[in-house]
Amino acid sequence: MAYSSPSQEPHEPHQAPLVPGLFTTAAPIKDSLVTDTSLSQNAVETSCRAFLAGTQDGIRVNRHGIPSLGRERHIRFLDKSLGNLPPAFKAADASRPWIFYWCLNGLVLLGADVSKYRDGLVATARSIQNESGGFGGGFGQQSHLATTYAMVLSLAIVGGEAAYQVIDRRAMWKWLCTLKEPTGAFRLTLGGEIDLPLDLPYDSSSHTPERLDLFTGLADYVRRCQTFEGGISARPGAEAHGAYAFCALGCLAILDAPHRIFPRYLDMPRLISWLSSRQYAPEGGLSGRTNKLVDGCYSHWVGGCWPLIEAAIHGPTISTSIETPSSAAGDLYSREGLIRYILCCGQDQTKRGGMRDKPYQPSDAYHTCYVLSGLSSAQHVTRILSSDGDGIMPPWTYEVLSHLDEAQVYNEEDRVSPTDPVYGIPEGKRKDIMSYFSSRPGF
Amino acid sequence: MPAKHKGGNSKAKEAESKQQVSAQQPPKTSETIRELEWQQYWSTNPIHKIVEEQGLNSLSPADNRTYLNLELVRNTDQVDELSKKGQRELWKQLSEANVPLRSAPRPRDDQWGRDKSGRDIGDYTPEEYAAYERKKSRISELSLDSTFFKRDRDRAHWKTKNPATGEVYTITEDDIRAEKERRQEMAALQSELYGVKSNPYANDPEWDDVVPIPQDEPEGAIAAISYAEDYAEAMGYLRAVMAVKELTRRCLRLTEHIIDLNPAHYTVWLYRFDIMKALDIPILDELEWLNEVSFEHLKNYQIWHHRQLLMDIYYPTLQSDEDAVATLAAEEHSFLTKILESDTKNYHVWGYRQYLVRKLGLWDSVDEMGSVELMISNDVRNNSAWSHRFFLVFSNPKQSTPDSLSMEHDPKVPADTIDREISYTQEKVRLAPQNQSPWNYLRGVLVKGGRPLGTVREFAESFVTSLGEGEEKEKVRSSHALDWLADIYKEAGEKEKADLCLRRLGERWDRIREGYWAYRRRQLEE
Repeated sequence: MAYSSPSQEPHEPHQAPLVPGLFTTAAPIKDSLVTDTSLSQNAVETSCRAFLAGTQDGIRVNRHGIPSLGRERHIRFLDKSLGNLPPAFKAADASRPWIFYWCLNGLVLLGADVSKYRDGLVATARSIQNESGGFGGGFGQQSHLATTYAMVLSLAIVGGEAAYQVIDRRAMWKWLCTLKEPTGAFRLTLGGEIDLPLDLPYDSSSHTPERLDLFTGLADYVRRCQTFEGGISARPGAEAHGAYAFCALGCLAILDAPHRIFPRYLDMPRLISWLSSRQYAPEGGLSGRTNKLVDGCYSHWVGGCWPLIEAAIHGPTISTSIETPSSAAGDLYSREGLIRYILCCGQDQTKRGGMRDKPYQPSDAYHTCYVLSGLSSAQHVTRILSSDGDGIMPPWTYEVLSHLDEAQVYNEEDRVSPTDPVYGIPEGKRKDIMSYFSSRPGF
Repeated sequence: MPAKHKGGNSKAKEAESKQQVSAQQPPKTSETIRELEWQQYWSTNPIHKIVEEQGLNSLSPADNRTYLNLELVRNTDQVDELSKKGQRELWKQLSEANVPLRSAPRPRDDQWGRDKSGRDIGDYTPEEYAAYERKKSRISELSLDSTFFKRDRDRAHWKTKNPATGEVYTITEDDIRAEKERRQEMAALQSELYGVKSNPYANDPEWDDVVPIPQDEPEGAIAAISYAEDYAEAMGYLRAVMAVKELTRRCLRLTEHIIDLNPAHYTVWLYRFDIMKALDIPILDELEWLNEVSFEHLKNYQIWHHRQLLMDIYYPTLQSDEDAVATLAAEEHSFLTKILESDTKNYHVWGYRQYLVRKLGLWDSVDEMGSVELMISNDVRNNSAWSHRFFLVFSNPKQSTPDSLSMEHDPKVPADTIDREISYTQEKVRLAPQNQSPWNYLRGVLVKGGRPLGTVREFAESFVTSLGEGEEKEKVRSSHALDWLADIYKEAGEKEKADLCLRRLGERWDRIREGYWAYRRRQLEE
């Protein structure tokens, strides 16, 4: 994909950009009661409206009032985040594999080549890897499910045999078994807290009946995490939260095809209602909980639920690989609203680059990855494909095609790369790593 | 700032003017050791002074000979090459020239070096320089004593006998304390003189037996953090003691230090818990420390897992003592109230609070329900508080079915509880009808009570006037009421009215969710 060029549709400065009133005026219903929540909500609406109007000084916008994606700045920001980090980053000392994942995934989304990081990642991964096969946050740290997951994703993103070979499947399997709880949940680390399971690194060759115990009870646990609001919480009884919604759907989607397993374990109408309530106007962006503020990262955590939900509702289809123009009619959320929030409010417009939570917040690698990932899901359509019947791959797979809309408000050159709907890695990387391991018999 | 002497001709002129000044006046107190050394050099090398200031040609023939002789004398090899007679002649001439017997060497510009702030030590006043020298010799002295300490400790370790007294060498607590003070003094002096950061563990004799394991960053590592010295040192010691599974007091202190530097370090928390168990540290002491840490790091969640682990071992020890449980519950409650005051929607704190309710059985606690009600009345939009209320009411084992799902009817919940919750929630909806939290809560209550949504039809309708009767007439005080009415009408088989609600939501009252409302309309058809 070409990087951004100044060839976007020119916008005459004297002509007001075409921004629908939905994104520039207050919501039609506003309660007069003032509380802490409404105060902070109003402050965010005001700052977002200024950015959404497309009239901020120094920010060039297209005729829809949307600035272009600062690809090169964002790439530079992520490259820098993979370089030597100053002492203040010690807070990230226990989560370095996440930095790898956020940066590498963000770079691929932006169309950059990450193969130059392969050797560095392999060396760093080996230094962090424990005897158990798991990975901790850094050298000499106890293996942790989350950092292990991030490391496996990072290795899958850079790809290639040297990267795949780092993963010791046999040892890792044993370690995962030690984390399994009778409730179906996993501990995040030995002695660690129980949390909603994150997506497990799945490979089909290990998914045989005699090893099913690792998956036993998982879907039931996810079911018990759906709350009275319809969303999903970290553990039964807690508050519905966007990050857990994505993890829950991802977890179920690993166990079976979404159109079969989602309705079996979740109250879909309530879940969809809750997910839909996460989008606010005028901001256009997504929040993580009821009455909480929009935050760019939920573009992924909540926004990333939509491809799975929409694919599940649509049901399996036969691959066409032909991108047909799709109108907004079938969408369950406002792609335009989310894209406006991301491009207008989510970008750091200074030389620094990177994506952010909301206006006036500093950009960071975490937000850069998840905001871009959300942008990708809003710019693409995901469908479930029926099995190709060869029995090696799982009996379902996904097709991610460009979402074509006659009323597209962003510049075509600002379309980022498609992502895998379950693992949040560049599309195709899942197939590569699974083909590699399924061609290796034994374990 | 005194001029620096570089020895060249132009510099020599400055020196000359300085020389004249100092020749006429007594030395000023602000004089530097550089100036002093130059004075000493000029005064013991008068001929060289003339050469440097006016050139070789300005010397008288006698001085010229003396100058060449002096240069010769400074090179003993050349003197040795002279014949005996020649040597005698040389010394004779020098003696007649009446040059000073001892001549100071010519100062070099870099001979003093710089101190930690980059100041040239040559610019020190004599007093400053004397103090500097005193500190340097103090470091040597301390370092020597420290060597003796280590020697004696080794002797004590191997139970060596003192040959003079015949007694086995011993190291007392006082010796260790003295050594610690010694090293601290050395570290302070080194930091003062050379800007070397002190390494508290390397300077602590208690840690002498541990060889730290430094961060092993491979060649070409990505996202490598340039750790500050204190963090890097502490982590090196942590890895070393963890590698041998040492569970001692000093390790507990080490974890405290690291948690203070980086509370997100989950490994150190788990290690700390292991140490606590091994040493049987009083849980209340640990909680007291943890309370402080919690306020300092509000967004950290390792803290809350650690607290949960503590309760897991603490609660069984007082389970049978009702008063003790009540005291613990009251203390935890007051702590959590304070924490939630500063961060009302903190997910980890609420998570711990639910754990505590389950653990201590606080379902019917007046404090618990009271504080949640207070939080809701302070901010009726605090969804975390609503969520906790739902948990308190519908997971209470006395009046609910174990493991009942959040979204299913639970016949064990008493009807008056459902009634109470409905009226409480409706009252809160009226305060701010566009607030979604109580609407979601209300739906949850009705589902738990197995009551149809239609039971609150009138309530929902009270927020909507003249729907579909024109932009002017149509009034909606809550989009959530419309959402409800769509379901209520659907439930009642009034499909057209339901469709109107959904259509108006998409067209006017909640346009950002237009796609969702359209989907709901399609669902009506199925």
